[in-house]
Amino acid sequence: MSESAKAEEGGVNVIGWIAQAMLPIALVLLLLAFAAAEQRVLSLGNLQNILIQSSYLVIFASAQMLVIITRGFDLSLGTAVSAVSVVSALLMTGSLAGEGGSLGLAIFAGVLIGLGVGMLIGAFNGIAVAWFNVNPFVATLGSLNISLGIATMASDGRPVFNVPREFSAIVYNGNILGIPAPILFAGATLLVLHFIMAHTVFGRGLYLIGGNPRAAEVAGLPRQRYVMIAYILCSVIAALGALLLTGRTGSGEPNLGGNLTLESIAAAVIGGVSLRGGVGGVLAVILGALFVTVLSNGMNLNRIDGNVQMIVLGCVIILAVFLDRFRAAAT
Amino acid sequence: MSTAPGMAMQEELTSRILRVGLLPILLTLSIAFMAVFEQKFFGLNNIFNVLRSTSFLAIVAAGQMLVLIVAGFDLSVGAVIALTSTVMAKTMAAVGAAFPEQNAVIIPLGILAGLGCGLFIGLINGLCVAFLKVSPFMVTLGTLSIATGLALLLTQGIPVYGMPNGFVKDFGRALWFGLPTTVYVALAIILAVWFVQTRTKFGRYLYAVGGNLQAAIVSGVPARLNVIMAYVLCSMLASTAGILMTARLGSGQASMGGNSMMLQSIAAAVIAGVSLRGGVGKVELVALGALFLSILTNAMNLLRVDSKMQVVVLGFILVIAAALEEFAQRRRRHV
Amino acid sequence: MSLSATVPDAAVAGQPGQTKAAPSPGAAQAPLIEIRGVSKSFPGVKALDDVDFDLRPGEVHVLFGENGAGKSTLINIIAGTFAQDSGEFAFMGEPLRGLTPHRARVMGISPVFQEFSLVAEMTVEENLFLGREIARGGVLDRKAMRARSADIIQDLGFALEPNRKIADLSRAHQQMAEIVKALMGEVKVLILDEPTASLTERETVRLFELIAELKSQGVGIIYVSHRMAEIRELADRITVLRDGRLVKTLDAEGVGENELVELMTGRKIDLLFPPIDHQPAGTLLQIEGLTLLNGDAREIDFYARAGEITGIAGLVGCGKSELIRAVYGLEPIAAGDIKIAGETFAHPAPAASLARGVCYFPSDRVAEGLALGRPIRENVSVSALGLERFARKGIIKRLGERKLVQEIVGQLGLRPPNIERLAGNLSGGNRQKVMLSRGLTRETRVFLFDEPTVGIDVGAKVEVYDLMKALVGEGAAIVLVSSELPEVLHLCNRLYVMHQGRMVAELTGDDIEEQTVLACFFREDGDGVAA
Repeated sequence: MSESAKAEEGGVNVIGWIAQAMLPIALVLLLLAFAAAEQRVLSLGNLQNILIQSSYLVIFASAQMLVIITRGFDLSLGTAVSAVSVVSALLMTGSLAGEGGSLGLAIFAGVLIGLGVGMLIGAFNGIAVAWFNVNPFVATLGSLNISLGIATMASDGRPVFNVPREFSAIVYNGNILGIPAPILFAGATLLVLHFIMAHTVFGRGLYLIGGNPRAAEVAGLPRQRYVMIAYILCSVIAALGALLLTGRTGSGEPNLGGNLTLESIAAAVIGGVSLRGGVGGVLAVILGALFVTVLSNGMNLNRIDGNVQMIVLGCVIILAVFLDRFRAAAT
Repeated sequence: MSTAPGMAMQEELTSRILRVGLLPILLTLSIAFMAVFEQKFFGLNNIFNVLRSTSFLAIVAAGQMLVLIVAGFDLSVGAVIALTSTVMAKTMAAVGAAFPEQNAVIIPLGILAGLGCGLFIGLINGLCVAFLKVSPFMVTLGTLSIATGLALLLTQGIPVYGMPNGFVKDFGRALWFGLPTTVYVALAIILAVWFVQTRTKFGRYLYAVGGNLQAAIVSGVPARLNVIMAYVLCSMLASTAGILMTARLGSGQASMGGNSMMLQSIAAAVIAGVSLRGGVGKVELVALGALFLSILTNAMNLLRVDSKMQVVVLGFILVIAAALEEFAQRRRRHV
Repeated sequence: MSLSATVPDAAVAGQPGQTKAAPSPGAAQAPLIEIRGVSKSFPGVKALDDVDFDLRPGEVHVLFGENGAGKSTLINIIAGTFAQDSGEFAFMGEPLRGLTPHRARVMGISPVFQEFSLVAEMTVEENLFLGREIARGGVLDRKAMRARSADIIQDLGFALEPNRKIADLSRAHQQMAEIVKALMGEVKVLILDEPTASLTERETVRLFELIAELKSQGVGIIYVSHRMAEIRELADRITVLRDGRLVKTLDAEGVGENELVELMTGRKIDLLFPPIDHQPAGTLLQIEGLTLLNGDAREIDFYARAGEITGIAGLVGCGKSELIRAVYGLEPIAAGDIKIAGETFAHPAPAASLARGVCYFPSDRVAEGLALGRPIRENVSVSALGLERFARKGIIKRLGERKLVQEIVGQLGLRPPNIERLAGNLSGGNRQKVMLSRGLTRETRVFLFDEPTVGIDVGAKVEVYDLMKALVGEGAAIVLVSSELPEVLHLCNRLYVMHQGRMVAELTGDDIEEQTVLACFFREDGDGVAA
């Protein structure tokens, strides 16, 4: 019996390896295909551009990863980003509007309130999902609308201008040793997340909860607390991404979230975070985010209509589901 | 089972109230509230407005319910409405240009094109869910994006005019026997769905597939076909609502339906006790759920609640309704 | 909509007493089912290996074997749930290919599995006609179905109400509904998988009468059971399976019990169950007046001492599992006291139980035991991640974890001892070993075993028993909940028996024997017919 089991394992590895290698290969092929249509795609400037663009998506996708691993989902990510952007921009501009507002304090307060808004939305999702057992899709569908309402009400539907330049100077234009700030932030987020997922009891707990929630509870894991923290972390990380994006645009945007929910889900799932829970890691998120970014970057450079891009994104989501299915069959 | 019958009965009563009784109580309360605070609510025009929006919502929510019964979910209904609206209006405008004043040609072709959109999206949803057994959320999230993109692409965000006057004036905005036409269409659809649910094999199979998929398959129920049919019907009902809304508005718009219709359709079903786990749901209650939500929205409009605030309220209602439903289910399982 | 080829007559035909052919049982005739050299593998297990089996008209053919011997795989192949990997399967002389559960049923192969094929939210009647509704053009003929179902239920003599929802019925009544459903069509082969596991005596008697009627009509019956008394009463032939292989097919007449058990286990009984030297010491677990919120167990008094195995026996659904689950914190408690080593344990919850040295091993290791997509290592250490040995300040000591888990798994003889394999790739026995390892990662004084040998092979079984013996020797208290009578009869020092949510007997010494226990199982105390 052990022999057959071993053969089994060997077989799994080969298919598993194919499933693993597929994405990097697809990524390269995609790049080449776009480059064939438009040479600028492979220019050094654009490659750096792709890296910077993908660092935002990496952040959002890694947030999404946290909850997908627990068999959850966050549909509110995009609108939470909008709400955070608007509220923190309002606070920064508001506290500078009066006489003698301290710049540092304003930025600090803006960042703090932004993360706070993220935390609130995450807590709403987490409490609904973990303690009231609301289906994660429904819970985050609800908070999607709630955060959308907050974003549009706070800003009255208009962008909040006059975000201090100094803020953008730090989070967008800043660099250390020539590495742009967004990449640094993304790298730091990934490192911290990797540590959490691979080396802490909490991270281990998330994998086991996603793998079998009932069994995790029987084994004594605090499922409800861990799931709630996962949702809070997800939204706080999304809020961090929102602040970085606000720094990039230099204004608080009520529509900043736009396609981010879709893109973050697509990136995480394409990368290999399983919708069945319990599987996925930081590396998966990086690959997935790069793939989605290359896709939209290539389409932009080839001047493909934004609405067409939306259709393509929809197809990519469905493709991600196919991929997920294939991977599940392979293991 | 002989001890504690009192306890069991009380639990049973609580769960009953939680499941069915909540809706009529909410309805009465909200109407009583309006009677006290806002008399305008009872104006004929306003009542027509409420009935119209109830009709649109009830049609979409009935479709959503069918999908929920097979343990699915459809995020794409709003986008299907948008796509239907633009495609139908474009088709009517184009056919109208080729055959001017030929309403007998223009209108059926337009409606067919609109329903075709529902059929198309519904088939994608259904086939992916039935054959890949993947999360319906993901699939319909994908088609949501695709349909919205298509609608925007077709119109570039500009309303599409050029539908025959007869379609708009004599149908979309008309009254039959003193009531908006939409109300009759919605009633007919609700009756038809009720008949299917309670009197046909297909209806029974939907419950079986959602209630215990394995048991249904073993019993020879063509599960995949039923799942596909549920998604197709859901999208086509959304299309129907899209057609009615477009006829009422007089132009095809890519902004029609959208996020709010999707949200409301799910909320209406969940409030009506349709289980997110599948196997449970009655169309007559869903219609009541739609009525409640429409009254609520109308009341908020009359009371001048900011429309952005309304979105927030809806979000809360959805989550609370789902939490209550889950609570009721847990109780039931413990009895 | 070509939903299903429903012919109203099909529902009418199969009623007992109407089938035409009535050959005498045992007569030499063409077998209904003939299986030659069938094999079937699942990831990590060879469930069936070159098995032959045949079923004649009018006979009761008992399938006998331990859990995991391949009985359920065999009946699932016959019922069309899945196909064999290799080998021949012929029905009434015709070789079968691409059988589906539905086709099998249409051809007259009706299974009654332990996992019910009923839709909980639908009524009895709707379930009976599922997939063969009486309908005209897709529109249901509800009157006709109502009349038919009432007739059939009455003919079969079961106390079932057709318009009750399945979810509201007791397990016994669900079982009856399942049996009625199986007899709706024209039945040629009836498969009964431990049908009496949740029936009371009166219903069991009625079932046996039915079986006799069906036999006289030439129906072939495959009967899976562990209970010797039943086998003695019903069987014409017996096929014994062990570890997926055919041991022997023999005529029931003149077969002794011990012979059967030895064929089943492949060893003498006293070698299967190790002699255990019980040295009862202090009471580690004491329960007084415990009543569960859902009423599955009521006013229970119970205790378990260090150094002995305390058993709880009873029919499926009698509340014995729920009782120990409540102690561990998985079922809400309405009233009563739980004391662990003399200290009151007010609000049981898994983490708190583990901290007090109480560990529960669930019967359903797929649903409640293991995260199948995660490696063995993680599944073992999960319950002990709060301990200094495994983690400090929330950060896992990965090296230490690997070493400790490797050691524990080695002690239990996990083969192969590769702790990075996914739990999902393991056989039933190895899965149980992973679960048991979990109890050894931390100091555990009270072991609550819920059907510990379900779905594992004999070898692994013996290892589980040996582990229990060793644990008892080290002074642990073991509570063994099991539906396998021989297990509790041979291993326990004291044996409790539960019946319909109540503790009805506490047996010690020579009172622990089959007849006494069975007498307690079937105690009719007034409310046998659950509403």
